[in-house]
Amino acid sequence: MIRGAILVTIGVVVAPLLGGLIAGVDRRLTAWFQSRYGPPVWQPFFDVMKLFGKEKLVVNGWQVFCAYIYITAAMLSVVLFFLQSDLLLILFVQAVGAIFLVIGAFSATSPYSQVGANRELIQILTYEPLIILAFVGIYLVTGSFKISQVLLQTKPLLASLPLLYIALCYALTIKLRKSPFDFSTSHHAHQELVKGFLTEYSGPYLALVEIGHWYEVVLILGLCSLFWATSWIGIIVLVGLTYLCEILIDNTMARMTWRWMLGYVWTIGLAMSFVNLIWLHGR
Amino acid sequence: MLNTLLFVLILGPFIAAALCFVVRIRHIRSFIVLAMACLLAAASLLLFVKGPFSHTPPSLLGIPTHWWILWGDDILLFTMLYYGFKHRHLLTKILVIFQIVCLDYFELFMVDHSKTFPLFVADNLSLIMVLIISIVGSLICVFAIPYMDKHEEKEGFQKSRQPKFFAFLVVIMGAMNGLVLSNNIIFMYMFFEVTTLGSFMLISYDRSEIALRNAVRALWMNCLAGAAFIVAMVCAYVTQGTVDAQKLIQAGHMGGIMLTPLALLCFAGLAKAAQIPFQSWLLGAMVAPTPTSALLHSSTMVKAGVYIALRFAPGYAGTFLSQCLAVYGAFTFLAASAMAVSQSNGKKILAYSTIGNLGLIFACAGINTPEAITAGILLIIFHAFSKALLFLCVGDIEQHIGSRDIEFMRGLYAKMPRTAIVALLGIITMMLPPFGVLLSKWMAIEAASKHLFVMVLLAVGSSLMVMYWARWAGILLSAPYGSQVTPERQGVLTRLPLLVLVGGAVVLSLCAPLLYSNLVAPILSAPSFSVRAGIFDNPTGAFLLYPVILVLGLGFICALYAARKARKARTSGPYLSGAQTKDPECFEGPMRKPVAVSSQIYYFESIFGEQRLTVWFNIFGGMFLALLIGGAL
Amino acid sequence: MDTIKTFIRKSRIKSPWLLHFDCGSCNGCDIEVLACLTPVYDIERFGIINVGNPKHADLLLVTGTVNHRNKKVLGNLAEQMPEPKIVVALGSCGLSGGVFREAYNVIGGVDKIIPVDVYVPGCPPKPEAIIDGVVTGLAKFAQKKGDTS
Repeated sequence: MIRGAILVTIGVVVAPLLGGLIAGVDRRLTAWFQSRYGPPVWQPFFDVMKLFGKEKLVVNGWQVFCAYIYITAAMLSVVLFFLQSDLLLILFVQAVGAIFLVIGAFSATSPYSQVGANRELIQILTYEPLIILAFVGIYLVTGSFKISQVLLQTKPLLASLPLLYIALCYALTIKLRKSPFDFSTSHHAHQELVKGFLTEYSGPYLALVEIGHWYEVVLILGLCSLFWATSWIGIIVLVGLTYLCEILIDNTMARMTWRWMLGYVWTIGLAMSFVNLIWLHGR
Repeated sequence: MLNTLLFVLILGPFIAAALCFVVRIRHIRSFIVLAMACLLAAASLLLFVKGPFSHTPPSLLGIPTHWWILWGDDILLFTMLYYGFKHRHLLTKILVIFQIVCLDYFELFMVDHSKTFPLFVADNLSLIMVLIISIVGSLICVFAIPYMDKHEEKEGFQKSRQPKFFAFLVVIMGAMNGLVLSNNIIFMYMFFEVTTLGSFMLISYDRSEIALRNAVRALWMNCLAGAAFIVAMVCAYVTQGTVDAQKLIQAGHMGGIMLTPLALLCFAGLAKAAQIPFQSWLLGAMVAPTPTSALLHSSTMVKAGVYIALRFAPGYAGTFLSQCLAVYGAFTFLAASAMAVSQSNGKKILAYSTIGNLGLIFACAGINTPEAITAGILLIIFHAFSKALLFLCVGDIEQHIGSRDIEFMRGLYAKMPRTAIVALLGIITMMLPPFGVLLSKWMAIEAASKHLFVMVLLAVGSSLMVMYWARWAGILLSAPYGSQVTPERQGVLTRLPLLVLVGGAVVLSLCAPLLYSNLVAPILSAPSFSVRAGIFDNPTGAFLLYPVILVLGLGFICALYAARKARKARTSGPYLSGAQTKDPECFEGPMRKPVAVSSQIYYFESIFGEQRLTVWFNIFGGMFLALLIGGAL
Repeated sequence: MDTIKTFIRKSRIKSPWLLHFDCGSCNGCDIEVLACLTPVYDIERFGIINVGNPKHADLLLVTGTVNHRNKKVLGNLAEQMPEPKIVVALGSCGLSGGVFREAYNVIGGVDKIIPVDVYVPGCPPKPEAIIDGVVTGLAKFAQKKGDTS
């Protein structure tokens, strides 16, 4: 019971702090790659606090509603992750947030927001099957969708699910809004369709969305960590390397079109997942 | 008591139909329909409270029951034959004549009517079906009363066609009740045929050219299902020597020869449930007035198909047929979801979504583990409520704004806030946790995880499904800022069904653990989940239903409070590159003229276009069907 | 509560997001503004981000003269920025209309339309001057009243 309470606290409090810090490191590293000095690592926290101090500017009341649902769902999905719950359930709860964010973007009549929302839906469409299939791979290895079962493994999952991990990284790139997949909205100073589907979220509501995004980053990196959950060093190395790769990809890739993304990620990602699943099935 | 209940549930609607047809006074007809609805709902609840039973009612008017059935069948088939000749449709004529010959020979010369076995057997599955049919169906009938008045006013018919319309509307409910309760498959067949004829009549209601064409298509496709049913019946009788459904299910375990009739029964179910390649009759049926679509094609009639598959599921467990059905159902789920993405017609989206969800239920029946069957049954319940609700909403919206295109529902919240909220809730209950449809989908995916193909198809299909629902939900709310929202006026008979359905969809989701442990678990071969404190748990996974509901509920309340508080905040128009005008919907264009802002949903015509995909999906669907039947032979 | 308010004030200084609006400039000032974003000057180290959306911006950087055609756009953009916000006028034209101030179509400097907090002179101002102007503006920005609830 006490352990559960501690895990919930970690999920609610520590996760966003960690997510914010990761975002800060991300910006710092990006600056380094571009031979700039870059902002301090806790810059994301300043950004969010400033946004909280801004005036509330509302386009459509539903957007406020959606922002709150988004952060609730994102928080809940992380808490469920730390409670070692069911993987599919976590994905579905996370989807509540993602979908409500899109609904909020649709509720504003600005064409930028509308087009961004459509594109965000395409992104969700692209990454969801990959994540589900990665979970099925985990199921085929561990015999359960529960994270608690994954943690009981003695051999890293990466050994039996290498291709699925790569496919999951595609999903990760989309979810982190990194180039070449950042066309619904993007990070930092990148601009696409003004700010894509976040165009009409402003002030404190944008801050909520930002914190929600930190939760999601932690969740998705947590999912990556499951692939080497046998040792702490493994987790740190795997997640660190993966994130470094993401930043590198972000800085070296040009933004592409959604058609390319859908076609490319589905063919490559689904094919790799399927091949990997057949391996497992064959055993 | 049981006799009375069965009489009310099965024959009551037929009597009400006759009254509707004969008494041509509007108010009396409305009263009959209302009374029928209340009576059916009450009777179904009473029957439900009584619990499972097996029962043979006394013969009606002293004539043996099988004679009634034979006469009924012949009347039905000859009526269909009449319409086949009237509309000069060769295929219908052939199929009906085939059925007449087979059926009469079978009943008069083959079947030994002296064998006695219970004519009506109800387990929890049947009782659930009866409840759905009688309650959801009745609500739709109630909704139809004011709807049809307005509809006829708009269409400007010379003479009211409502007597016939309502007659068939209620007949279908009686037939469905009969279908799910009967244990004799000859009975099942008759009720199956009644729904075929009823749907034909209801689709052709408008008598426009397109309505007639679609109705005839529905007729021949369902006749094909009926023909398959008859062949299945004859096969089953030849091999097993009985028409007792319970015996046939048990006989299935012996495998081998028994599979042919079961495969044919599944075929009949698949055609009735408009699975690909039979989807065109369901899509065509959307030309009918909305209550027809809602009753036949969302919550009751197509459910006859999945009911048959689920009913006979223990019979074909672990066979090739079962595997085939799983892949086929999952394929339909994916295909229908893909085609729904390219649609802007609200009713077509609903139709494709229905086909997809039924495919998912077939997949569950095919996977055939206790988890999968649980998922299938729960999906039937939750889908019925949400889908009927959405159909009625689209009907109501169409009467107000004159279009069923979702692009025209942009910003509906500003015009019809009540209906928009109800529709929004309907959409959310269809796709997001913690609501029932998603709960069942979760069960289905977990149950399917050992079937690789099924799994991949379900994973892609469910993402596509989220896509077409989410954007619809989004644009319902896309109202210009600061617009005055005044609640629209709704009649009692319109609002009541909507409210009951939306309440049902939400409350039933909350009661999912109860539904599972009291209704579904007893009919499974082994319990699929242990339910404690609202947590569905088994070694494969766990769905923390109540915790999720609790947290999301709290979030919902906070969000509502915040949104209410934000009303005082400064409003600002959408960002239009600084060129906005006083009118929030316009920007300042060339010559300082205001230009209206417009944007459209992406429909991906080039990828998911209906025209492009239908051909290929039909070919694949046909191949699967051939595999299904061929494999069983 | 006070610590939070202090922290928000501090955050404002640390994280001004900038909306750059070319109000009919000759592009000289704009090129200098863009130069600030390059690795040489790297204004992101002050947390400054160039956003394209007034709803996310704290700081409106205006270059060029205001004329009858674009005054509405300037006003609209400023109106869509949530409080607190500051406006920085850049270059001779932004300050007063510059050499174009007598032209028939020119209204004058930015302050004819919206209140300006910081004026950065120069034709064009050097990137150092722009950064200095922005940083001066930040002190004002932190003290501005906004919704701190």
